[in-house]
Formats: sequence, C-alpha cells, structure tokens
Amino acid sequence: MTQVTYQILRNDGKGGVPHFQNFVVEIGETEAILTGLIKIRNEQDPTLAVRYSCRQEICGSCAMRVNGKSRLVCSRLVGTETKTHNNTIRIEPMANQPVLRDLVVDQTPFWDRYRHIRPHLILDPANPLPQGKESRMTPEQVDQFRETPRCIACASCYSACPAVGSDPDFLGPMALAKLYRFTVDPRDAAYHERLEGIQNQKLWLCLRCNLCVEACPKDVRPAERIVDLKRLANQEIGKRERGSKHSIGFLNNIEQGGLLNETKLARDSLGLFGMLGQVGKGFQMMRHGKSLKKHPPIQGLSEVQAIYADLNKPEDIKGRERPVGKGVKGE
Amino acid sequence: MTLSHDVLVVGAGLAGQRAALQAFRAGVDVGVISKLHPLRSHSGAAQGGINAALDPKDSVHDHIYDTVKGSDYLADQDAVEVLCKEAGPTVIEMEHMGTIFNRAPDGSLDRRAFGGASYNRTIYSADRTGLALLQGLYEEVGRDPKIHIYEEWDAVDLVVRDGRVQGVVAMERKSGKIEGFGAKAVVIATGPAGRVYGKTTNSHESTGDGCALAYRAGAYLKDMEFVQFHPTCLPHTSILITEGARGEGGILRNAKGERFMERYAPHFKDLASRDVVSRAIVTEVKEGRGFPDGTVHLELMHLGKEKVETKLQEIVAYARTFAGIDPVVEGIPVYPAQHYMMGGISTNPKGETNIPGLYAAGEAACVSVHGANRLGANSLLETLVYGKIAGQNAAEYAKTAAASTLGQTDVDATTGRIHQLVERKEGELPAKLRAELQSTMDELVGVYRHPDDLINAVTRVAQLKERYQNVHVADKSSIFNLNLVEAIELGHLLDLAEVIVTGALARTESRGAHVRTDYPKRDDAKWLKHTLAQITKEGPSLTYLPVTITEYQPKERAY
Ligand SMILES: Cc1cc2nc3c(=O)[nH]c(=O)nc-3n(C[C@H](O)[C@H](O)[C@H](O)COP(=O)(O)OP(=O)(O)OC[C@H]3O[C@@H](n4cnc5c(N)ncnc54)[C@H](O)[C@@H]3O)c2cc1C
Ligand code: SF4
Ligand code: SF4
Ligand code: FES
Repeated sequence: MTQVTYQILRNDGKGGVPHFQNFVVEIGETEAILTGLIKIRNEQDPTLAVRYSCRQEICGSCAMRVNGKSRLVCSRLVGTETKTHNNTIRIEPMANQPVLRDLVVDQTPFWDRYRHIRPHLILDPANPLPQGKESRMTPEQVDQFRETPRCIACASCYSACPAVGSDPDFLGPMALAKLYRFTVDPRDAAYHERLEGIQNQKLWLCLRCNLCVEACPKDVRPAERIVDLKRLANQEIGKRERGSKHSIGFLNNIEQGGLLNETKLARDSLGLFGMLGQVGKGFQMMRHGKSLKKHPPIQGLSEVQAIYADLNKPEDIKGRERPVGKGVKGE
Repeated sequence: MTLSHDVLVVGAGLAGQRAALQAFRAGVDVGVISKLHPLRSHSGAAQGGINAALDPKDSVHDHIYDTVKGSDYLADQDAVEVLCKEAGPTVIEMEHMGTIFNRAPDGSLDRRAFGGASYNRTIYSADRTGLALLQGLYEEVGRDPKIHIYEEWDAVDLVVRDGRVQGVVAMERKSGKIEGFGAKAVVIATGPAGRVYGKTTNSHESTGDGCALAYRAGAYLKDMEFVQFHPTCLPHTSILITEGARGEGGILRNAKGERFMERYAPHFKDLASRDVVSRAIVTEVKEGRGFPDGTVHLELMHLGKEKVETKLQEIVAYARTFAGIDPVVEGIPVYPAQHYMMGGISTNPKGETNIPGLYAAGEAACVSVHGANRLGANSLLETLVYGKIAGQNAAEYAKTAAASTLGQTDVDATTGRIHQLVERKEGELPAKLRAELQSTMDELVGVYRHPDDLINAVTRVAQLKERYQNVHVADKSSIFNLNLVEAIELGHLLDLAEVIVTGALARTESRGAHVRTDYPKRDDAKWLKHTLAQITKEGPSLTYLPVTITEYQPKERAY
C-alpha cells in the first residue's frame, strides 16, 4: 500500500469553472486505478461522477484521460502511472466529447459516427444465407476480422484521435475499425457501397499518427484497419477518388519536412485549379492559427523519417487483397 | 410528463434486447429503458459460450438430461425442453444476425467442452462469447430505429394497478429528470443481482433492480436461495476465469500438485458441475491442501502458448493484468465467488409472472431451467430463448389490453419519494451499508451454509434494512447523481438479500448450490419443490410450488 495523489478534474456540468481537486488514496500498486476512484467515492467524496460497471475491461464504460493519455481505468494499474508520474495520477474526462459532469462525457458524437457506418449485416436478398443452418466461414475468413471483434466501444481511441476534432466528417478510429469488420465479413453484401460511402473526409483524414493504437486497450489497432480500408478502397474504387491523392500528399509532406505544409498538401491533392476553389478554406485555416507558409524542417526529422520507414515495412502493412471468398456457402 | 409504449422492456442486455426485437417483430410499438448503454450490459462479460446440440452426433435429449441433472432435479422439465429444442435455431439465428463465432476447419461452428455436459456442445467466440452475441443482437436491434432505446435511464418504480401492470417510472442519469412510461405490457430483463455479495463475478451495476421492483409490486420471486458460486475466480477481484478454460483442457491442482477433482468426480473430473467443483475447492483449502493465499491453481500451461493465447485471449489478459500471472507459464490462483442467481422473478414457460401484463426474462427471471444449479453456457441460451418468448407474449397481450392509466400522479409519487431521499440532511452513506451487506453475505451465506450463520444473516440483513430507512445521499446534483442511484440500488439489494437468507434458512436440505451443513442430503420427499417468496409487511412470506417432471425422475447425481 502506498499513498497516491489522485488529481481529478472536477466539473459540475452546470457552467462552473472546471478545476483540479486532489485526493490522497491508500492503494496498492497492483490495484486498478478504478479501485482508487471507487475508494474516493465511498470514503471521501460520493459526489464524484464517473462511469464504470464491469471492472474487467469488457463493458467499455470507464475510459478517461490518465496523465494525459486515454485509458481504461479498470485495467490500468496504479503502479504503471505512479512510477513515472511522481506518485500522482491526474485524471481528466475523455477528449472530443462534451463533459456532462466530472469524468462523465456525452458520447453522442461517438455513437453517431458508429451508427453512420450502418453497423449491421447488409444481406443480398438474391443470395440469402443458408436456411436453418449456419453460414460456413473458413478460419482464414475469420482471421480477416483481425482483432476488431474485441472492440468494446470504450471510445479511448476516439478520445485520443487528433483528427476527429478537426473535421466532423471524419468517422474516427472506432467507427472505421467497425466498418472494416463489416467490409471483410463474407456474409455482408454491401462491400462496394461501404467503401464508396466513406470516400474522402470520412476515411482519408486519418493522420496515421497511431495514437488510437496506443490508446486501445483491446489491441483492435484501428489505424491499421484504416490502412486496410484505404487499400481496399483504392482497389475497389480506383483512381476516381481523391482521398488517396490527399493521403499520399500528406504522407510525403510530413516525411519530407516533419510538419504539415498545408499549401503543398492542397496542391498535391487538389491540383492547382482545385486549390482555387478552396481559397475560403485557406482563410479559415489561417484564422485557426494554421499557417500557409512553408515551415523549415523540424528538429528530429530523422526520427519522423525513421517512424515512417518502420510503418512502411512491408510486413506491417501488407495489403489484404479483396477479402478471400466473398460470399458464404451453406455446406 | 409521461411517455407510452405498447410494450416496455426494462433492461437492454441479451434478454431485454431479444424481447424488444421480438415484440417489435410481432407488430407493436416497443420502448426499452436501460440504466446502461446496451453494449455495456453485463451480458458482454460472458466468456465461455452458449450450448446447442447442433452436432448430428449430439442430441437435444442429452442436452435436456444434462441440464436436468445439473439442476439437481429442481428445474421444470417442460421449460428445459423448450430451452434445449430452441437452442439450435437460436444460435443459428444469432449467426445470421452477424455474430462472429469461432469456426472449425470445415467452416462450421466450432464447439468446446463445458462443465456437466456429456458432449462438446458449447458454441463460442474465443472467450468473449457474451460480447459477440451482444454486438450481434445490438446491431440487429439498431437496424430499425423504431425500437426506441432510452439509454441511461434507471427504472425506479413499477406501477401495478387494477390487477395489471401499468408501466414504469424512471429517472434519467444525465438530467435527473423523472418520467412515467405507460405500457400495456412490461418485460423485466434487468439481469443479475450478484452485488448482494462483495465477492462476485458480476459487474458493479448488477444490483437486481428489476427483481426487487417486481417483488415490491407483488410478483413472486422463485428459488432465490439458490446462488451459484463459480469455482474459478481470481482472488481479490473475483474476476471470472471461464469454465471454457477447463473445457479447453485446463486442470485444477492443489498445493500438493494433486489433480484433486479426480477424487470428487471420478468421471467428469474438472468438468463436473459448478456446485461440485466449488465445494471441492473450498474443501481442499479448508483441509490445508490449498496454496498459502487460500487458492488452488488452474493450470493451462500444458495446452501450449498458441492455444491459450488465441482461444482464451481475454482471460490471459485478465490473469496478467489483475493477478500478475502469466497462464502460459504458471498456474492461475483461483477460488469460488458468487456468479449467478438461479432464482428470480417467477415466470411460467410463456414468460408470464403472476401479475397480468408483467413478463420477465434472462437472469432476472426464474422459469425455471436451472433449478438448483445452472450448467455453464445455458444462461446465454436462456436469455435469448426466453427473451424471445417473453417479447412475443408481451406483444400479444398488449394487442388486446386496454391503454395504461399511468399518469402524473404516479410520477409525482416517485418524485416525492426521491426528493425525500435526497433532501435528508444526515444519515449513513449507501456505500457503508452496502459494504456491510456484502460482507454479511460473503461470510454467512456462501458455498457451505451453517444454520447459525443463516440465523445471524437474517438478523443482520434486518438491521441493515432498518438503518437503510435513514440512508443519506450526500450528492444533491441533478446530473449523474450516482450517489442517489446507489442509494436506490442498495434498497433493491437489501430486499433481495432478505429473500435469499429467508429461503436458505427455511430449506432444510442440500440441493445443487444450496448446501446446509446440518442437512447434508437432498430430501426429495420434503423439498422437491420451488420456493416462492411474496412481499408482506413482515417480510417475505414463503410458499412452495411443485416441480414439473416429465421424463426424468430424480435420482442421485454423480459426476
Ligand atoms: C463474468 C461472467 C461470465 C459469464 N459467462 C457465461 C457463459 O460463458 N455462458 C453463459 O451461458 N452464461 C454466462 N454468464 C451468465 C450470463 O452472462 C448472464 O446470466 C446473462 O448474460 C444475463 O443477461 P441478462 O440480459 O439477463 O442481463 P444483463 O446483460 O446484465 O442486462 C441487464 C440489463 O438491465 C439493465 N438494467 C438493470 N437495472 C436496470 C434498471 N433499474 N433500470 C433500467 N435498466 C436496468 C442494464 O442496463 C442491462 O442493460 C456469465 C456471467 C458472468 C458474470
Ligand atoms: S491514426 Fe488516424 S484514426 Fe488513429 S488516432 Fe491517428 S488520426 Fe485518429
Ligand atoms: S477500437 Fe479499441 S479503443 Fe476504440 S472503442 Fe474499440 S476497444 Fe475502445
Ligand atoms: S469498468 Fe467496464 S471497461 Fe472498465
């Protein structure tokens, strides 16, 4: 047992100024951070608002920011934070979702994106599933789901994602991982429509920053599934779509300079004429503090480039071709 | 303000959602209220699998027999028959909805062994079958936005008047707003009540709300003294390690390295029914053959890293995170903890309770298919089979029932009661009373039940109920006031604890999960009957109901 300071961002949800409040908790290093929050509620301050239920990393209720990172507090152990943070655990509500009170956020934006991808099987009436029998699915077909069936909809990834905040169209990591799950499902008949439906902003705004991978407690690796979707989309829809150009521009851009050069990016993805149509947006960006002038290469550019080299290693992003054996047989 | 639906389902776990889907398909207007987002329901925590005799070499009859034997002959055999016959179609329906199951090399649904089963008939999805089913069902329900789901609303009152159900009064967590939900028929599917105990595999929100609301409104609770303790739970946290781990070949050993289950169940060994295995573990530890931390070990090492890490992915993570143990290389320390309530709101095989218009399904209900001891992987099945039946019958009832009379006066009555609670200036906090209740149940109403302990428990629960009259809600906010919610939930837990201990003290025999040290034998002459508890001013009044026996006459159980 040690004494740990829980530094919690309180917010009454009624317009009061959010502020940090410290609680000192007696707790073991191998206990979950959630245990400390429950102790605070039970012994010090029953008004602390926090969502939790299963306490075993399966209901997805308890995501919040712990020392700045999106975590599930029921499976994140006290010791993993206190060692590196001077015996202090700073806890704030998830990002990208409005706070209702204390650590409880309104998840409407997260669920809206989830619903947007039509998260259910879409069957082909002309080719129904076998009656009175399960549809057969090879173990390879099951493998193609990768780890997406483990998703517990905790929104940790959504909270960590820098892109969802910047564009309401971008579907975000969880919804896209879910979309991938349906796209590769051999029972699903909407393969083309699903890939067509997410063109441009909905898919391609992903920055490949991998923060969602780091935040996900269930190893769903949304960023990798997004890469898969991009590959499938490229394959299925081909050159007609613009997203890939944008994304390649984006990638090259950062790889070359370590920072985003918005002008060059726009030129790469839209071409010079396309850019003229975007003048308004350029002004908007400037208002938001984004500069259109060229940045000098950042310090540590070699590290960025090393990350890229690593990400581009063939085994890491080896493309899954069109899902094997689309369509299922009864026998 | 009041809202209204033909059928109102309370609870959005597997049972509630399946009921809602069926009522909707039957053509009535359906609302669902759930205190958690549906995907956060505790069904999602189910690990091991769901039983169905799908293999041509298996038979529905064997499934029925195994279930009846597992129940120690207390299950109603007509209800078990429905359960097992519907199992195959139910699993296939879930597969067609999109549930992702593990597959055999030929592409069919893979199966694993489970406790008390004479054949490998447990269909599974790694060790997160509950999550897979819950996702599949939620996706299907979400297909049609006409099924209105009120998320994060707590049902706080069930209104029964003029000899029938009228609806529910509920409170929204986000706003504290209290509203009436008039309904022609209500399906209670609020899930487990494991938090009556401290050492439980159930979630913090598993507080038996619907059982208590129905009981208060005059419904019978059945067989509440039958509480399942799962043999293999992590110490301290009581997080479950699925029976599927033994189904995949895991073995229990005591500190002397003995595979002790060979002594208790020579034939079924580690896969005997749960009551048998739990008693064996408690006995081993009590007689000094446990590890110093009071556990036995569940060994998976011999299964090989690949199998353990793929088929038991979640529990490997649990053991590593919550016990600091790597099951690939060392034994997992385990000990029994409360896991499942065989009892619940008494229904017949149509899902009907004794109150017209009131239906129940899932763990909140008792049909009864589990009798005195539930077989693993039969509960997920029950939620879906009987959820569907209850939903269908609720819809049929609603089609001819008169409109609900639920109105503002009902809402005002609830609001008044809750304001009184919140406005109380002092008293004991719910967390304190809850902790005392849980330690009472952990210590006195466990795997083995001593008569003195039970008498003691009756007194202590009564005292806690008395103190609860002055429970203090320190939080005065209207937004996400969990202190208020836990005070309300505690009232439910206390009512249910009272019924459990009263029933346990009255039942002077040992059957399935209910084991009396002073009456170690099953007594069919006196006790082959269901306990029914009904609320009175003096506490629960007990009556009894015969067991339906069709094919299998009771005989001694051996594993
Ligand atoms: C760890 C664990 C593992 C298990 N593994 C298996 C297994 O492998 N196989 C198997 O067959 N069984 C298993 N079980 C048992 C099985 O999972 C449960 O019995 C079953 O899922 C219960 O489903 P339900 O729909 O009845 O309840 P739940 O899924 O718990 O749903 C209850 C619903 O009611 C709502 N609710 C509760 N109170 C209120 C209220 N006052 N107002 C509004 N809504 C409310 C909740 O929000 C929730 O949506 C397991 C159980 C546990 C705990
Ligand atoms: S990799 Fe893409 S989806 Fe993931 S956090 Fe970064 S921007 Fe968001
Ligand atoms: S992908 Fe991972 S982090 Fe995102 S919601 Fe699912 S489980 Fe949570
Ligand atoms: S409490 Fe369920 S995921 Fe943390």
